[in-house]
Amino acid sequence: MTKSEEREDGRRSIERELKRGTLELIVLHLLAPGEAYGYEIVSELTSETKGALEVTDGTLYPVLYRLERAGFVDVRWETQQRGVPRKYYRLTEAGRRELAALTEEWTTFSKAMTKLLQKERKVR
Amino acid sequence: MTTANGYIQAVIDHLPRGGALRAQVAMELEDHIAQRLESGRTVEEALDQLGDPRALAESYLAATPLVAPPLSRRLAAKVADIAIVAAAAMPMLVLGTRALPSELAVLVVVATLVAASLGFGVYTIAAEYWMGQTLGKHFLGLRVVRESGAAIGLGSAIVRQLPVLFQVYWLDVLFAVFTARQQRAFEMLSGTRVVLANSSSPSPRRADDGSPRA
Repeated sequence: MTKSEEREDGRRSIERELKRGTLELIVLHLLAPGEAYGYEIVSELTSETKGALEVTDGTLYPVLYRLERAGFVDVRWETQQRGVPRKYYRLTEAGRRELAALTEEWTTFSKAMTKLLQKERKVR
Repeated sequence: MTTANGYIQAVIDHLPRGGALRAQVAMELEDHIAQRLESGRTVEEALDQLGDPRALAESYLAATPLVAPPLSRRLAAKVADIAIVAAAAMPMLVLGTRALPSELAVLVVVATLVAASLGFGVYTIAAEYWMGQTLGKHFLGLRVVRESGAAIGLGSAIVRQLPVLFQVYWLDVLFAVFTARQQRAFEMLSGTRVVLANSSSPSPRRADDGSPRA
């Protein structure tokens, strides 16, 4: 592995870590307006962020399940006219509180980070 | 070429048997793939987006922490299993001692013991492989899983029982007392562990009950 390939790898891993840490916040945020099913959340995420925040479908469903287990979302199965039943997700009260807390946390973090990176520094 | 059904089957094969998770994941993936196809993607693209079946199953499982049971409960489950196999071996002992002359009684007892030990091994391996738990473990709310929480394979089920065959059972059990996840030596070797049953099967919790309102 060359030096530049190593750098590439490092950058990708930052992206991966950021996604992992924020995926729950992203999903809670997208569920805030109301009930949605898995595929809606996936496509909304892809179209709104133009792929910058692209997550594979495979990462999203387990996150929804984790939120369900934690009591942050309620689920409802709806029988469709054709095909398999569809699973709908909706924020619970606890989910809304979690969303508010995570949003606050992220905002504080990103403000501090931006400030840190934008500050002019004198040459030592 | 992998079909959608083949893919879904590969995912749920890794999820623990019993419990509702398998059916739920299957339905959700089926719906998802159908939607992808409707929006003009191919099956390959849809499955590619879902990723490796095992990785997908394991990230579902990561949502549920695995809890090691008290060792006393595992001991109780083992005692229950021994009692079950012993009860099953009783007819052989009774019939054998009745049918054969009394000089051969010792032979009958030895033969029954050997058959019961073998039967115990086969029963444990089969039950843990197919159902994820023996009857004893079922009664005491325990199940056997891979360290990731996934269902165990036949190979692992066999390796778990090797210490009995090698007669190193006590040494093997000693490891469970001192290791972090309370695993026997051969459990670590096979990458499996015993956990509380309700920790690996989903029980949808309503957020509205139990948790105090803010």
